[in-house]
Amino acid sequence: MSYQIIAIAGLLYILAMPLYIVYMLTKNNKLGYLATGILASGALIHVYGFIRRFMEMYAINHSFMRSIPITNLYESLVFFVLCLIVGYLFIEWKYKKKSFGVFVSIIAGIIIGLTELLGVSKEVQPLVPALKSNWLLAHVTLSFIAYAAFAISFITGLLHIIMSSESKKSFKYILSTTLLGLMVFIFISMIIDIITAGNPKSVKIFHSTLGNPSVPISIISWISMIALILISWKWSEIIIKIFKGLKIDSNFLEDITYKGIAFGFPIFTIGGLVFGAIWADQAWGRYWGWDPKETWSLITWFVYAFYLHAKFIRGWQGSKTSVIAVIGFIVTIFTYLGVNLFLSGLHSYGSM
Amino acid sequence: MSKLEKWNEKIWNFFASVDLAVALFIVISIGAAIGTVIPQQAEPEATIRFFSKFLSIANATKAYEIVSLLDLNNLYHSWWFTFLLFMFALNLIVCSIDRLPNLLKSYKALPQPLPFQILEKMPIRKDLKIDKENMPDKIMEIFKNRGFATNLFQTPEGMQIQAKKWSKTRLAVYLTHLSILIILSGALVGTFFGFRGHMNIVEGTGLDFAISDEGKAIPLNFQVICDRFEVEYYENSAIPKAYRSYLRILENGQAVKFNGKETKVVEVNEPFSYKGITFYQASYGFQPAEHAEFRFTYFDSGGKEIPIKAKFEEKVKIPGKSVTVSVIDFSPALGIDEHGRLFNMTTDMINPAVLVVFEEGEKRTERWILKKIPDTWETPYGKLRFDELWGAQFTGLQVRKDPGVPLIYIGSIFLCVGLFISLFLRPINYFVTINKDNISFYSPSLKGKFIIEKQLEEIINRLKGEKI
Repeated sequence: MSYQIIAIAGLLYILAMPLYIVYMLTKNNKLGYLATGILASGALIHVYGFIRRFMEMYAINHSFMRSIPITNLYESLVFFVLCLIVGYLFIEWKYKKKSFGVFVSIIAGIIIGLTELLGVSKEVQPLVPALKSNWLLAHVTLSFIAYAAFAISFITGLLHIIMSSESKKSFKYILSTTLLGLMVFIFISMIIDIITAGNPKSVKIFHSTLGNPSVPISIISWISMIALILISWKWSEIIIKIFKGLKIDSNFLEDITYKGIAFGFPIFTIGGLVFGAIWADQAWGRYWGWDPKETWSLITWFVYAFYLHAKFIRGWQGSKTSVIAVIGFIVTIFTYLGVNLFLSGLHSYGSM
Repeated sequence: MSKLEKWNEKIWNFFASVDLAVALFIVISIGAAIGTVIPQQAEPEATIRFFSKFLSIANATKAYEIVSLLDLNNLYHSWWFTFLLFMFALNLIVCSIDRLPNLLKSYKALPQPLPFQILEKMPIRKDLKIDKENMPDKIMEIFKNRGFATNLFQTPEGMQIQAKKWSKTRLAVYLTHLSILIILSGALVGTFFGFRGHMNIVEGTGLDFAISDEGKAIPLNFQVICDRFEVEYYENSAIPKAYRSYLRILENGQAVKFNGKETKVVEVNEPFSYKGITFYQASYGFQPAEHAEFRFTYFDSGGKEIPIKAKFEEKVKIPGKSVTVSVIDFSPALGIDEHGRLFNMTTDMINPAVLVVFEEGEKRTERWILKKIPDTWETPYGKLRFDELWGAQFTGLQVRKDPGVPLIYIGSIFLCVGLFISLFLRPINYFVTINKDNISFYSPSLKGKFIIEKQLEEIINRLKGEKI
């Protein structure tokens, strides 16, 4: 089954993470190639899994345009990760820098892990009438490619803020290190969740840590989460040192942050907003209806428009713009997942 | 300058500023976000119920007062949100009028050498020393080979070369801004000259008006008849595959023909337009009408199929037999619970079934016949297939007329083209100063600094390569 193949790809992503860390600490080139190799082979397996799933969908729907497996939460997360990894590998190849591979693999690992933990349905489902449209392919694919581009700009933006912060008390620094600490905590917590669960189907997110029925363990988890955030706040200079040791200047990070947005923004506009509007026009009889998903897409669009205007018209430079990139991706996540989880609307694929 | 002129200039600058644009981005975003949390177009009770989830009842009522004062329950059509969008449009217009002429002028103006002080401030700078003849020509040739337009100047500090590429792509930003204005005007046209409504038509009936979102009747000047509505399910599953309405249009009592056929099928994602009014499959529901009838097919001993129609509790004779059959119960989705009892799952016709009674003199035989289970069609009086309950569902059609849609499409195309040009094809400018054997390269570009430095390196390598 396709989802088992994709799970293997997810494992390879998680495996690549410690290798990237060791590579950054030792600067051993062989390890670097190994890390990239594992990440790339994960991506290849992932593509294979994706094609398999495509064929499984095709067997039900008999239409090429409508068989793209991005029709529910699980499939969309999987596709997002694929775009993220492919995008990262492209940047690594083009710029010959492996600097943020560790963070990409953390995020990829977290997301593939999430699909295991949230108990999202992984079965291939036939298309409901609302999704039976040739716009499905264009609208959803491009939206997720844009999300992945924003994710890359988020990672580099975060690192850029940490690297270029002079004061530990500045808001930018606290925000970015807190997010970093949280990411690491979620990653570790999910690995424990998977290991400690007896039945792979009954795994629940944070069940082994924050939400543990035993009060002491839960308290310890909360403390360790706060500790991780504090550690990340206190010792982020280690990251700065490693990065400086690898001769990565903050200009590179700022540039990638911009590139991610400059690539993602028009893709998001055409795929997410315009194609979405055309599809809505044909399916629901209105191109814009202030549905929560539409509204939050517009907000995402505004945040990145803000980024571009601040950078080019106001001439903002340095970590100031990266803060917008980080906020932009937090809004993007809300558009993608939060809207489906917390608000009611027409984009129901997010329901589990 | 008079006071009035000063004020004029101040107001103009306010509307032309990027600060206003950025402020509007933020305020519109926050406003729109609030609208996704507070229930929109809801009854007062629903809003109070929403607030009472985290406030006391008294406070929830107060919160509702604030909500209705600021139109927060109809936020996207409120006066202040409309005002913000209007400001946004004004900002875009003034901004473009303010900047565009200067840009156009700069294309026409004769190129001028830049003062040394400005070059010094540019973010990208590369210095090198090459002692060779004819350096300016060689540099210009390299730039020309890469598609740049070049200019050579004599300045007090030495020679200055300017190389420009894709400078016209700056206009794309204004195309993007224009496209947003076109989209907004399309929305205005739709608001003033179009309408949105819905109509629920029971199978076998017709309507000649729609109900607008505000609850008013909109006459259509023709009648829409729904002959049939069906939900198709995937095999052995309750997942719907298609919602389908079979419609006919009657104008002045005459059926309208489309490509020689009277019936038009409307599905989700496949709307149907007539006279600028478009009908979309939006919803459906269970609503038995007076004329509702159960439709069966009876297979006589020769295997011939004979249709049978019966209203609820109406006794109908089975052909060729002295038996009557009548429907005494109906279930749209018959299921069996763990105790083997029959129950109805939903009002969706997932697994329609009828309880029929056969009467032969004094003898009564009751039996459930399920549409999707052929075993149940076999009765003591022959094979009787239950086909459908017709006239018990309505189709919910979304009805729309929007002459603004073409503008939306044109605006969308401009938006995409403008964004792609302005973000993927950036104007690239290089400035080179040559003073004896000191050559300096400058670039003012902030966009894609990394790529520009790389390109510069290639150019310099070419230059050095020529030396060898």
